[in-house]
Amino acid sequence: MMKRLAIHITLFLPLIFLLVQLFIIEVNDPVKYIYTISGIVSTVILFFSITISLIKKRVNLLKYRRAIGLWGFFYALVHMINFVVFDAQFDIYFILEETFDKPFIYLGMIAFFILLFMAATSTRKLFRKYSKYHASVYLALLLITIHFVMAQKTIDIDMFCYIAVILVIGYYKLLQIIVKNSKVYTS
Amino acid sequence: MKIIKKPSWQLNENEVTPKELFDKRRNFLKLGAASLVASGAILETLAKDNIPIKNLDFIKDKNLNNLKLNTYEQITTYNNFYEFTTSKTRVKDLARTFDTSNWTIDIDGLVEKEMTLDLDDLMKTMSLEERIYRFRCVEGWSMVVPWIGFTLKDLIKKVKPLSKAKYVRFETLLDEEQFPDQARGIFATIKYPYVEGLRMDEAMNDLTLMAVGLYGSKMPNQNGAPIRLIVPWKYGFKSIKSIVRISFVEEQPVNSWQEQNSREYGFYANVNPNVDHPRWSQKRERVLGKFFKQDTLMFNGYEKEVAHLYKGMDLRKFI
Repeated sequence: MMKRLAIHITLFLPLIFLLVQLFIIEVNDPVKYIYTISGIVSTVILFFSITISLIKKRVNLLKYRRAIGLWGFFYALVHMINFVVFDAQFDIYFILEETFDKPFIYLGMIAFFILLFMAATSTRKLFRKYSKYHASVYLALLLITIHFVMAQKTIDIDMFCYIAVILVIGYYKLLQIIVKNSKVYTS
Repeated sequence: MKIIKKPSWQLNENEVTPKELFDKRRNFLKLGAASLVASGAILETLAKDNIPIKNLDFIKDKNLNNLKLNTYEQITTYNNFYEFTTSKTRVKDLARTFDTSNWTIDIDGLVEKEMTLDLDDLMKTMSLEERIYRFRCVEGWSMVVPWIGFTLKDLIKKVKPLSKAKYVRFETLLDEEQFPDQARGIFATIKYPYVEGLRMDEAMNDLTLMAVGLYGSKMPNQNGAPIRLIVPWKYGFKSIKSIVRISFVEEQPVNSWQEQNSREYGFYANVNPNVDHPRWSQKRERVLGKFFKQDTLMFNGYEKEVAHLYKGMDLRKFI
């Protein structure tokens, strides 16, 4: 119980931080700021959600994976709302034009809809039916990473650090899958 | 039986606000208005406090376009100056110790006589004026800045370029001791020294400014001290900072961002809402401090003054 509460509080803090920066400290470019914070937080949470099964022997958070994943989706939703409300200002034509025209935008959009699908089918009943499609989170993460790199004007050292961490997670994830599959065949 | 028929306009007793409450509401409104005025006044004083004491003599801009200025705070805490860092908010801190004393500018290339100008001496001979300009970044944000400087045209007349000179090439200081990103060698974010260029007629346009200050006082380090270029109808990256060399050349120079990524950033870099950046739209812009965007104007609103420079050019091709 305490663990669950701690997780929720931790994942809620970035939102508080964002609101304080926006309305109390007043950042210079709010629209860009919402994009950056919500995007990075969502990406980190989602990558963390797939590492849960890697670290389960040390810290077992499997029980909370759904909650953590939903928080990741929540920040992606904030990201998306920022696009629709502040960036596009509800201009549907602008949204469609950008979505179909700019790889940067449509990769992000596809990733968002994958997450939306996962969030919508995360209830106990629907999850039983759709869980096999939840592996699409890997596709979403790949698209998010490309989207993230494309948002930069230039690639600097920070960006290479993010990508290095992602590659390490990816490597262990792949290893885990290979080991799991070979067990299936040998047994 | 007497039937009282109320006229249609008469309210029921229970719909009438008691006088006591009505008066309270008025008091509340008055209080609200008073607090708005008070906080406005306080905010204004606070904002003023952040502006350093005016230390330049200049002719004031009448602001005929009624542009709404961004605050000194906004202009000086959100800067692209890659020599320091790619973080816009950290530049101010990193630039605090930037030494701009005894600054000189080399003038070379196709001029009657190559020379080295001492900035302090140069400032004594140039008359300064304020220019309130829109400033639009290729990244999609914008601001309005009261720059102070002299026209590049006046400087060019002084240094007498040869008629063969077709372009002006500018260079920023190269100094690893002072610029952390330059010290990173092959891991530097972009190639240094930072280079920019203008066609001669663009350079001679009345809008093109050599800025040495803003908001009445000398240029803050993070904004490109001690002297920078301002070309208000082009994206911000054309307005090269901390200039140490001006060369007059025959061939079109390759500017830093064009070299970095010529598909996305060209030589002209004119603000053009009709030509998107390959990754994002340029139709609108986010004015610093605002949640909602505004439409971007052709040539950043300076169409009347500069459109003739590009007559007959395909602005989709010459980006």
